[in-house]
Amino acid sequence: MSEQDTTRHCDELTLMMYVERQLDREAAQEVSLHTQTCTRCLTLLRALDRESRLLTRSMLEQDEPLPARLAEFHEQAKRSMRWIWGIFFGLAALGVYAFYTEYIAGFQSQLEQAGFGSSNLLSLMVFQGAFYKGWLSMFTLVEFVALASVAALGVFAIRKYLRRGTALAVMFASLGLFAAFVTPAPASAAEFRKNDTVTVGKEETVKGDLYAMGDHVRIEGTVDGDLFGFGEQVEISGHVTGDLICFCQSLRISGQIDGNLRSMANNITLTGTIDRSATTFTELLTIEPNGKIGRNLTSFTKSLTLDGNLGRDLLTMIGKGTINGTIGGSLNAKGENLTINSSASIGGPAKFEGDNPANVSSEAKLASPLAYTKMEHKSHQRGPSFSVWTIIWAAAYVLFGLVLLSLLPSFSREASSNVENVGASFGLGVLVLFAVPIAAVIACVTVVGLFVGLATLFLWYGALYFAQIIVGATVGQWILGRVSDTWALIGRMVVGIILLRVAMAVPFLGIWIKFAVIVWGMGALSLAVYRRMQPTIAPNIPPVPLPGPTSPLPSNTTVGS
Amino acid sequence: MEPLRPGRMSVPGITEPKDLIVRARAGDTQAWGDLYREYAPAIFRFCRRAMPTREDAEDATMEIFMKLRDKLSQYDPSRSFTAWLYKVAANHCWDLLRRRRARHDKDMEDVEELPLETPEPNQLEKLIEERSSDEVRKALSTLGARARMALVMRYYSDMSYDEIADALGVRRPFVGVVLLRARHELRQALEGRGVLVAGGTQ
Repeated sequence: MSEQDTTRHCDELTLMMYVERQLDREAAQEVSLHTQTCTRCLTLLRALDRESRLLTRSMLEQDEPLPARLAEFHEQAKRSMRWIWGIFFGLAALGVYAFYTEYIAGFQSQLEQAGFGSSNLLSLMVFQGAFYKGWLSMFTLVEFVALASVAALGVFAIRKYLRRGTALAVMFASLGLFAAFVTPAPASAAEFRKNDTVTVGKEETVKGDLYAMGDHVRIEGTVDGDLFGFGEQVEISGHVTGDLICFCQSLRISGQIDGNLRSMANNITLTGTIDRSATTFTELLTIEPNGKIGRNLTSFTKSLTLDGNLGRDLLTMIGKGTINGTIGGSLNAKGENLTINSSASIGGPAKFEGDNPANVSSEAKLASPLAYTKMEHKSHQRGPSFSVWTIIWAAAYVLFGLVLLSLLPSFSREASSNVENVGASFGLGVLVLFAVPIAAVIACVTVVGLFVGLATLFLWYGALYFAQIIVGATVGQWILGRVSDTWALIGRMVVGIILLRVAMAVPFLGIWIKFAVIVWGMGALSLAVYRRMQPTIAPNIPPVPLPGPTSPLPSNTTVGS
Repeated sequence: MEPLRPGRMSVPGITEPKDLIVRARAGDTQAWGDLYREYAPAIFRFCRRAMPTREDAEDATMEIFMKLRDKLSQYDPSRSFTAWLYKVAANHCWDLLRRRRARHDKDMEDVEELPLETPEPNQLEKLIEERSSDEVRKALSTLGARARMALVMRYYSDMSYDEIADALGVRRPFVGVVLLRARHELRQALEGRGVLVAGGTQ
């Protein structure tokens, strides 16, 4: 081969299109002829051909396995779980119903009658209850919210560079580090005791926190730290230098608690002293004449009897309350009946919002007259304003959904597709709807978990609305057709939300529709979160064989010698 | 059934699962599941090459199959299913990239205005010889969105110039130029000289 006519080399585009078989026959023949005599163009042609092969080979190589979340089309994966979830849902529903009728219904009725809303409850627990440990805690809360916001922004900013698992790991690690820095280190190691009867003898001193679990827990000696008591009967006749956190049927305190009391019990009797504040969820709370609480008492109880001494404020929701003792600060009560007897003394303002006017003895010593407000129960009558509010609420949902779908388009789509997996969504929805708030409230009872618990409650509360939006988006897609584009999805969400709100406005049936929608959507959201937390690598996907190299050149063309 | 090959699945000799496709079109969910399992790895790899991040590729794969399921009734069985599938995938990925400013005016200006220097054949041969597949993939990920998309459509899924023109929204004669520009960008990236176009979403 000799080099001829080198002044008329083929340009690179022509050679590339020849390699790509994109030239017409005449042009291809010209190139073919030219490259038989021009070494330079032939070399370039071969180089371009090899470049094409390198590109194809590089792209076809299986360098990453299929992620686990893509291993199955969603509906396939869901379908296989449907029976399991169905059975699970049935059992869970039965359990929830039994639990509700046995334990919650009565208490809920009392709550509704007393008119306590959820916002009141939170503000009460955080700012006025025994959880409020002064301004330092307040600063910590603000600090936590600020840091959490910064962390969330940071994760949001770099989310594209993090794998989902990594992002979650970073988040949890950050929370762990934060908790490690913020929460004070315990003075000494905790001690665990579990038996039918757990006793700390009179002469015995437990250094550090004590976790006591048994049918009977008796503390006659000293616990130099916090005491966590779980049992049928807990009796404290000794001395606890820290807080007492107790879940039991019956709690009797005749000793000394230097810190706070936080308890959920059937009945509590106090004849001893609590130096700081008390928060109780109980059926019967009795503070005997010798009983004393140094600071505030926050109580949710069916029957409260205060014969002893309370240093500061009393905030309570009661079925029936009787005050015979002393309240150093204010009284703020909601409930059915309140009696203030002649021996009672209240140092601050007194308010009672109830079904019946309080029975106040004229001999009782009150700093100011008791302010009584008749409790107003929600009217179920529906007038024109009801329709207006239905429209306003529907608009608010649409706006909320618009924001969420714009901010989290991919997640929203996943959640929306999960809605169609009815069994799994309902099963998980029931679990999340009931288990999460219970877990969050339990977390709130412990000092360390308070912030996590409150954050979880807020998230859960937000998810109640998000759930309806997700179901609305799916309903919209059923009617107007499935889409993957975010704005089209928003349009369908609007239609779905309007229809759902109309359905929810139906008397009697509407509330059940709303409940079903919330459970359903909550489950779909939880499934989406669960799937995102799954590992991303699917180890069992077999490699796909690569095709053998094929010549891109026309079969009837001769290239080179 | 002969195992499907990602990328050039439409080459002669590779049979498509016609039976599965027909059953899936008729609403058989089992067939659809099988079809998904056959094609998901190839489509995921397509998206992985075309999209900037793995997360984007995962999301895009899911969305493409959701779209495919809805559009399956529109598929013409007399044509290649693989080609149709890649067309849907390419359109979807390009839509996503375009929405993220990938199809920026600057991208077009750069392509149209910057001169192309014909490489020294021996140097090009040497460059290709020295670079591994891994290096090519890394270089590919640094390219502008359109260059990357064009290369993936042509050299991964073996799409025709007409199909590429249709997907990218350019005139058919312009496709060769887009591909050549993309190759030049790639060579520069392989040489560690950065890329000409900054129209990607990196």
